[in-house]
Amino acid sequence: MNSSEATMAEHGANRETIRMPIETASPLVVSLGITLLCAGCVTNWALSGLGAALLIGGLARWISQLLPGRGEEEHAWVPIDQRARAIERVDVAIESRPRGFIARMQVPAQVHPYSTGVRGGIVGGAAMAIVALAYGLVSGRGIWYPVNLLAAMLLPSMSEMTGAELEQFDATALVLGLVIHTIVSATSGLFYGILLPTLPRYPVLWGGVIAPLLWTGAIYGFMGVLNPVMNSRVDWPWFIASQVVYGATAGLVVVRSKKVPLRPV
Amino acid sequence: MAVLDHPAENVSPPVAQRAPSWATTLDHKQIGILYIITSLIFMAVGGLEALIIRAQLWVPDSHLVGPDMFNQLFTMHGTTMVFFVVMPMLFGFGNYLIPLMIGARDMAFPRLNAFSYWMFAFGGTLTYLSFLAGGAPNVGWFAYAPLTEYAFSRDHSTDYWILGLMVSGIGTTATAVNLVTTILVMRAPGMSLARVPLFVWMMMFDGVLLIFALPPFTAAAIMLLLDRGLGAHFFDTQAGGSALLWQHLFWFFGHPEVYIMALPAFGIISEVVPVFSRKVIFGYESVAAATVVIGVISMGVWAHHMFTVGMSDALDAIFSGASFLIAVPTGIKMFNWIATIYGGKIRMQSPMLFAVGFLAMFLIGGLTGIMLAAVPIDWQVSDSYFVVGHFHYVLFGGSLFAIMAAYYFWFPKMTGRLLSERLARWHFWLMLAGFNLTFFPMHIAGLLGMPRRIYTYSADRGWTIWNQLSTVGAMLLAVSFLFFFWNLFVSWRRGESSGDDPWDAWTLEWATTSPPAHYNFEEIPIVRSRRPLWDLKHPEDPDWEHE
Repeated sequence: MNSSEATMAEHGANRETIRMPIETASPLVVSLGITLLCAGCVTNWALSGLGAALLIGGLARWISQLLPGRGEEEHAWVPIDQRARAIERVDVAIESRPRGFIARMQVPAQVHPYSTGVRGGIVGGAAMAIVALAYGLVSGRGIWYPVNLLAAMLLPSMSEMTGAELEQFDATALVLGLVIHTIVSATSGLFYGILLPTLPRYPVLWGGVIAPLLWTGAIYGFMGVLNPVMNSRVDWPWFIASQVVYGATAGLVVVRSKKVPLRPV
Repeated sequence: MAVLDHPAENVSPPVAQRAPSWATTLDHKQIGILYIITSLIFMAVGGLEALIIRAQLWVPDSHLVGPDMFNQLFTMHGTTMVFFVVMPMLFGFGNYLIPLMIGARDMAFPRLNAFSYWMFAFGGTLTYLSFLAGGAPNVGWFAYAPLTEYAFSRDHSTDYWILGLMVSGIGTTATAVNLVTTILVMRAPGMSLARVPLFVWMMMFDGVLLIFALPPFTAAAIMLLLDRGLGAHFFDTQAGGSALLWQHLFWFFGHPEVYIMALPAFGIISEVVPVFSRKVIFGYESVAAATVVIGVISMGVWAHHMFTVGMSDALDAIFSGASFLIAVPTGIKMFNWIATIYGGKIRMQSPMLFAVGFLAMFLIGGLTGIMLAAVPIDWQVSDSYFVVGHFHYVLFGGSLFAIMAAYYFWFPKMTGRLLSERLARWHFWLMLAGFNLTFFPMHIAGLLGMPRRIYTYSADRGWTIWNQLSTVGAMLLAVSFLFFFWNLFVSWRRGESSGDDPWDAWTLEWATTSPPAHYNFEEIPIVRSRRPLWDLKHPEDPDWEHE
């Protein structure tokens, strides 16, 4: 406790009254005045006149109460038997559980650094991009096709493009596709970093197989809504492969990183 | 378990003791209760409007109310729920709790605080006075120009809408300034910004958001008033004005407004979930940081309400991207809450029930929000019932479920009495069932092509069953709120005494009596960690040793 804190506590303990603002109708009168002033605009100007008078009178009273010694009064404290008593310890709950940090958090004591999750997400995203580009080459549609499909999520004009047009290079789509891919990859990686240590055993199985299959299922359900263009043109086996590659790569980066103690709260 | 063993019945609730002084009070707690009671009255009115809307849509070709009355009903329902229910209810809790949570005696500007409340109350009353003056506003809560120009809205109803919201908006801005100032300058010794409860964090950024978002709306309202009353042409498309300008100004306020209503709800959940999971909030720093990020991004997503007005592809893409991006910090918070619950010693009492309900409902609202952030799908479902379903999941499922958690959590602090747990459970399950039955079918009706704001429809559209499900759900919701109101009434009168700290909680408001004395604390508490009451109750294992 520093000196000012100590002084404050002592000051409070030795007093039996306290200065508080006196009750006043000024705020009520001022606000009624403003309201009537406005109401007069749509009813009768006389009402506005009354409102103006109330506003001026209320403000004058308000301002006068701001003068030194005018707006406050001494309030006695409530009787001593009605005050909050000092907080007492009747310790039951705490003794039945282990003391300290783990008991209060009940989450893993050691976790992967959040930055590792983001890094894993970006590396996983790069691996995923390689698979997507490979699909473009193998299918004969070219490397810009998957990029354009991704960008169609934010570019409504692409919904009207033909397949041939979607195979062409488009600078806007490239930038948008990169932005979407990077943000989603990094964010998903962050969640990986947070969640993987909480999952039971075999983190690579969770991160590399189960999680990608789960979110691919979710994406399958939502794709028509999120990205109708991709929904109508996506090659699902390749799509699933790219998700698994992402999950496995990001998961590997995360689990291979050194764990750090979770900062206590 | 450690308790504050002060007998609550020794302290008369301020409600009974200080009834004559409500009009002149400057006490933040009384003002908070005034906010809460007034917003409950508006909630009953807004809910009644919703019930009439749902009754009208029960069968095709219904003529229960005419098209003009229907327009008035949905306008007033939206306006009421946003401006006169959710926001003031949250301000009510903020007003009541923030000085207590930070160990202060009152708000920074007590008179301004009272002024804010009265401006809200009179603003709401002025808007509703329009019913007596020939007809309520009928232009939607968004009041799109040029529909609101004098040429298309010749009576005074739109003027009432503008003036009522301007009056209440002045109060709201004053509240925001007061909240931010209070939190920044009136914290107890030792309570750094890194130690304030998360509810306080959220309310602080709520205030910041309001200070940035509300003035453009007020400016737009004044411009519209000038158009209508003095012949200006800001939004008059026939005279060179721009209808899109209104939309930009309105949604520049309107979208942050969603987060203005959601952030305090997040704060409530961040207080309730740890206490009822018996664990420290997981990732305090990330929840606080996510709040800041949400606040910043929320100022840059307004045009996603305007994907269908014909903006360029580039603008659509930017606002779509920003809208997707905001899901990230929101998702972080969801993970934090779930991680807090995970492995906890969970007490499924009424505040926690509503908190868990919030998590599930807000998640659904968030997912449909992500769908709407995609421009192609937005083009398909914009202005359909899909959107109505989405935003009700966000604002009702999000904000209102959290607010209900707040009622059950802090009612004992305000009155010294517990709400009935039995009635609370009826309330919760009926509300959960009614809520989903009301709003989920709206998504399907929307996907089937039902536009929003239509007053009736023909039988061959295939929308009847979905509307009937929604109407049945709305009735269930109404019944659930009857349980809630009855619970508030009977528990306030003769509920079980709660003691000062019925939940074995950790923040400072539980360190004083229930209800607290006028000055909150005899001694200003000294804070050494984020859970000051834990430290007091468990001196052998205080938190500050771990921070």
